[in-house]
Amino acid sequence: MVDFFIGLFLASLITALFTTRLYRLLNWYAFNSLTLGILALLIGTKLDDNAMLITGVVTIIIKAIGIPYFLKSFSQKFHFVRQIQPEIKVQYAIMLIPAILVFTFYLAEPITHMIANNSNYVAISISSLFLSLLLMMEHKNIAPKIVGFLSMENSLFLLGITATDGMPMLVELGIFFDLLMAIVVINLLFNREHEEELNND
Amino acid sequence: MIELLLLPALIIFGLSFVKSKKVHKLLAFASFLILLPTIALFELPKPYHLLGDYLVADTLNVYILFVSSIVGIGVALALLTLNKHVRVSRKAYRRFYRFFAIFWIGLIFSILSNNMGIYWIGLELATLSTVYMIKTNHSNAAHKEAWNYMIVGAIAISLILFGIILIYASAKPILGEDAMNFNLLLAHAKEIKSPFLFEIGFAIVSVGMFVKMGFFPMNLWLANIERASFYPVAALFSGILESAVIVGFFRFSKIAMEVNYDHLFTFVFIYAILTIFIVAFLIFRTKDFMRLFSLSGVEHMALIALFWVSGGTFAALLHFGAHAFLKPALFLSTGVLESQGKYKIAGALRGYTGKKGTLFWFLVSLFLLAVISLPPSPMFFSELYGFGAMIDTAKSSHHLLAMLGAIFLLLVLLSIIFYKFIDVYQSMKYEGKEYQKKVYASELIALMIFALGLVGLMLPSTLTYLKGI
Amino acid sequence: MILYITTIVVLLLLAPLLLSFIKSLKMWLLFKRPTSIFQGYRNFSKLLSKETIVSEETSAITTYAPFLVLSPLLVTMFFLPPVVQGAFYVSFVDAFTITGLISLSTFFLMLLGLDSASAFGGMGSSREAFISALVEPAMVLTVFSVSMMAGDLGVGQAGVNLAAHFPKEHMASFLFAGISFFILLLAENGRIPVDNPETHLELTMVHEAMILDLTGVYLAIIETASSVKFVIFASLFVSLFLPFGYTYAAPLAIFVFIAKLFGVAMVVAILEVNTAKLRLFKVPNLLGIAIVFAFLSLITFYVLGA
Repeated sequence: MVDFFIGLFLASLITALFTTRLYRLLNWYAFNSLTLGILALLIGTKLDDNAMLITGVVTIIIKAIGIPYFLKSFSQKFHFVRQIQPEIKVQYAIMLIPAILVFTFYLAEPITHMIANNSNYVAISISSLFLSLLLMMEHKNIAPKIVGFLSMENSLFLLGITATDGMPMLVELGIFFDLLMAIVVINLLFNREHEEELNND
Repeated sequence: MIELLLLPALIIFGLSFVKSKKVHKLLAFASFLILLPTIALFELPKPYHLLGDYLVADTLNVYILFVSSIVGIGVALALLTLNKHVRVSRKAYRRFYRFFAIFWIGLIFSILSNNMGIYWIGLELATLSTVYMIKTNHSNAAHKEAWNYMIVGAIAISLILFGIILIYASAKPILGEDAMNFNLLLAHAKEIKSPFLFEIGFAIVSVGMFVKMGFFPMNLWLANIERASFYPVAALFSGILESAVIVGFFRFSKIAMEVNYDHLFTFVFIYAILTIFIVAFLIFRTKDFMRLFSLSGVEHMALIALFWVSGGTFAALLHFGAHAFLKPALFLSTGVLESQGKYKIAGALRGYTGKKGTLFWFLVSLFLLAVISLPPSPMFFSELYGFGAMIDTAKSSHHLLAMLGAIFLLLVLLSIIFYKFIDVYQSMKYEGKEYQKKVYASELIALMIFALGLVGLMLPSTLTYLKGI
Repeated sequence: MILYITTIVVLLLLAPLLLSFIKSLKMWLLFKRPTSIFQGYRNFSKLLSKETIVSEETSAITTYAPFLVLSPLLVTMFFLPPVVQGAFYVSFVDAFTITGLISLSTFFLMLLGLDSASAFGGMGSSREAFISALVEPAMVLTVFSVSMMAGDLGVGQAGVNLAAHFPKEHMASFLFAGISFFILLLAENGRIPVDNPETHLELTMVHEAMILDLTGVYLAIIETASSVKFVIFASLFVSLFLPFGYTYAAPLAIFVFIAKLFGVAMVVAILEVNTAKLRLFKVPNLLGIAIVFAFLSLITFYVLGA
């Protein structure tokens, strides 16, 4: 079952790479985070680790529901460009993505020997890290870049869950806090009413 | 104790919501409060546990905290007259203070942390709050660079987290949940069962940190950002943010030294020399103050990393202290020199008259000459000790000749930088037109504080303290 | 052997029903009055009784091609994995053969379109060539990767093995192959994100453009061929990716299988209602996803074994 959701995680990320619409991209991101949350819940029940269960629930609430919702409302508030055409053409992406996957799978091979359980998932999370980097690189617009950054966070989280059987609770909550802070900063960055402010002074 | 440390930042955060114009003076005085707990930390027996095992003050980070606190005070003072030199709206001004406070809190956590996770959280908090400080400038360039910082900074910081997770995974079998703890990791470094995993993690962490400090592939991004943003941001970058990054590098590399010293040394050595090689030529080509100082900051950070891994702890720390005082001082004076958007090197130092003006140009010349390590400057001594440490390490191996060659190359590169700075200084002092310029008292006080800090570094008691770390 | 023949006959009889089922379900979902689900049979019998006219411009190919479109598909029907345990099946036919037979049929369909000597026919053929060039590598990779997971290169044997031993340990690569195959199912059968089977609008037609000139018996054959193709893909999908219910007794197993086929048809219908047709030059995006997933499934299986 865990394998299935890991598959869904990577699948949703790859599909996001081909997406040309912002809202659909956000949906894929939400789906990606949802599978991540379910994974945390599944592995948490398997390990009988309460901290990871909490992490899973928080992931689903914040990343799968909260952040996509906020980003969508930002996009309406600040009138984002919603047609996001990747800079890399599809025919090259078809070749590039498998190449990245093969590369990362072999790159992760020596690492997977050293991790006792869930060694495959480490390879998948490293390759999803690279794919989110690709997502950031292949777009010129800022909104998909943010989504790329957020999915990078997701893949690091997956790595944290699988490679180490969960990080300490404090650290994970701290990462969530930083994520919320990132959203606040992004909101402020989109605000461009300064000229009025200057004139008011 | 931890409350006292966070108090000034919290006061600044709270007061930033008050709309009165007079409140700024209070902010500057609030920042002085940080001196109390930092000095107290010097006196307390070390290691002193501030917050369980999570925040621990030892000789190393107390020193770095002290240096960065002084920088914080200096910047808070210089902020008083920000609106005299650049166009800034009141609302943005207050927000700048607010994010400055968050930045400070993040970095205090980062510097004092004894836990990889908390270190990362603090660093991320500081990175995110910097994004807004960059954006206080309302130009389009600043807006673009703020996004740039957000994206590249996020990638760098994610790399650091990635490495931390790998390191944690490598040490978890022997240490359990405590594998996040720096001290425990250091104590049990030899027992790590999969050193390869640790080394990969360390390499990724250090690449993330190097990107954040503007090392080899990303040499110009910090310079561009500092150019586009207001000058206090650059001062905060070089004085506080980089000190938090470098303290992390110190801690991680200490563990890596235990695991495999040769790999660590080769990796950092090649990276740092490559960086200095490129930066030297970039400095030679620069045409404005911000980029000049920013790139020279990259050069100094590379030297610090190099000295540290060569075993020259004392040299690295002395160099770090000198860098942390000189760079913010130079960035703050850049703000004055470029007041109201006049970006000319030629004749920048002319036209400062009266007592304040004379003091100002005297201090700036002092800093400029100190940053290129002319003898009375602490940088001169730190470089001597650092190169000495490099030769000492090489003596025990078979690579003495290669090391001497590398040092010779470094000296050639440093002399290029030296030449450029002398050229800039002469052009500032003896070329260009002369007209009346103004300096404010708060800036002078800030510069005086930095100058005193530099002198303080050279006191015998400081040197003995540094040698004891 | 009897079961083998029976299932093939049942599937053939079912073929028009499935497509009409999709159509009427779609109409029902769109709050229209649905057509009867037996409309496929009615159309077939009506077309058989109609006069067959062949354009003067065409060559002999038009008279042969409809049969050559249908016959490879009929041959493929014999190679499908068994529906009931203990039934006869052909075990040695692998991914390449099945893909080859299907593309043979597509090839003659394209010839038919070119031979009609109308502008639409050529356009439809070129579009079909464009799509099937993207479909075939993905198809080979997907079926191949599933066969690898099942431990046998023969598709029939793979279906049996999967039913006997579901690859729980290879869930991730199995999922990727499933996603890829479902996209191929949509693309090869000209369903909505790729082609709209219901319109006769020159901008969007692919499949319809090629058979625009056909009448009477020939049209009936081609329509049958397209419904048989859907049945082939649906039953491949069902027996490779939803391999349960295989061990029941014969009538029940066949019933479960047919129910699963209707399930696939239902998913296709719901997808069609909810998505808009892609612009032709956006189609590579969708098929690119299919290719990437097919490849991903293979390398995940090989390198990671997950």
